[in-house]
Amino acid sequence: MAIEQKFTDLINADLDGEISDAEKAELQQFLNENAAGRALHDELSSLCGTLDGVEQEDPPPYLRHIIMNSVPKTQATSESPGFLKVLFATPALKYAMTFAAGVFLTLSIVNSSQISDQALDNVTGLVGTVAEPVNAAIADSVVLREVDIAGTVSLRSTGSLLILDFDLVSADQIEIQAEYTDSTIWFNGFAQLASKGTTVAAEAGRVRLGMDEGKRRYAVYLQNESDRNTTVSLSFLADGEVVHQANLKYSPID
Amino acid sequence: MGKTDDTKLIERCISGDRQAFEALLAEYEKPVYNAAYRMLNSPDDARDVTQTVFLKVFENFGQYDPSRRFFSWIYRITLNESINWLGKANRLEPLTFEAADEGNGPEQELESARVSASVQAALMTLKTDYRTVVILKHFLGCSYLEISETLELPEKTVKSRLYTARQQLKDKLTKMG
Repeated sequence: MAIEQKFTDLINADLDGEISDAEKAELQQFLNENAAGRALHDELSSLCGTLDGVEQEDPPPYLRHIIMNSVPKTQATSESPGFLKVLFATPALKYAMTFAAGVFLTLSIVNSSQISDQALDNVTGLVGTVAEPVNAAIADSVVLREVDIAGTVSLRSTGSLLILDFDLVSADQIEIQAEYTDSTIWFNGFAQLASKGTTVAAEAGRVRLGMDEGKRRYAVYLQNESDRNTTVSLSFLADGEVVHQANLKYSPID
Repeated sequence: MGKTDDTKLIERCISGDRQAFEALLAEYEKPVYNAAYRMLNSPDDARDVTQTVFLKVFENFGQYDPSRRFFSWIYRITLNESINWLGKANRLEPLTFEAADEGNGPEQELESARVSASVQAALMTLKTDYRTVVILKHFLGCSYLEISETLELPEKTVKSRLYTARQQLKDKLTKMG
């Protein structure tokens, strides 16, 4: 026998805990007298128990980092000091660095362990090379919101230095290629937050970074002695496939 | 988290406090991801939609009406984004019961995983209007009033859709065994 809609609604409301005392009493009386009603109550109760008992899925552990790195940077009032400020304030403790002036026209490949080993010996030289890095102005920037990689890459300038500031999170191994066609520009150094699995390769007109899964912060220094207009072309590759491309432009201020 | 706490966090977000945004993200990442997952039946799609939702929230704090509860705003964005996603993938129509992804089969699954897969398979057979109310009620723990606020529908419609959806789910799961 079909159950009157009114009682079907009361059964559902009862299971949802959204029933008044008067409705509850009316429903109870109905259930006492109606076997089909009791069966439906039991079935729906079982269904609700099943639905409510389904375990929540955990989001991927890196998702929060990707999201935080995807949102635009704003003037946070309580944010920690900027990367460059920290970098040059406490380099010996927090950063592994390599200073590779003169590697242009030659291929230079280092890995993260080499960077760490050389770090403390070379910090002073690099700091001495960079004039007022904290004030390095942002010439251009790009935001990445890809599945494989997200974050921000900024092109900063200070004096004759261009600084590629990578603030990224990746879900997998990523290769980053930064290419510049102006032959008067040369690779002048690399810095990273302490991390493992990073590779750096510099050659004429191109710097390649290999990054592991996770949150990473890198700075690549390019010497732009003539202070010329230039464009740095960025490519991000996952499993050999380009997942994102962008250009960062620098124009000297007159 | 209460409405007052959310409101304070949102005020801080609007003033550019990334830590406040990270706190909101920590609070809502899991429910948003789960709502998207239950709508889309794909962890990859749920991840992408979750990312999109939080970016939209970040970019549209100015449009948030503080007289409403934050969760109803973000859940609404989540469900709309999920429906848009289904539309792009041409998957707005419910799956047939046979076509639903039931995982590797009950014998290979732990009991909880089996139940979860069965529920998900049945859920995907519902029209999106019905699926949304079930997700809000049973996966996000919303009351009739909260569902009504989130979907901007009369409570009467919410109840009607929820009850119909349950009946359909019951029939599907019974058929499934």
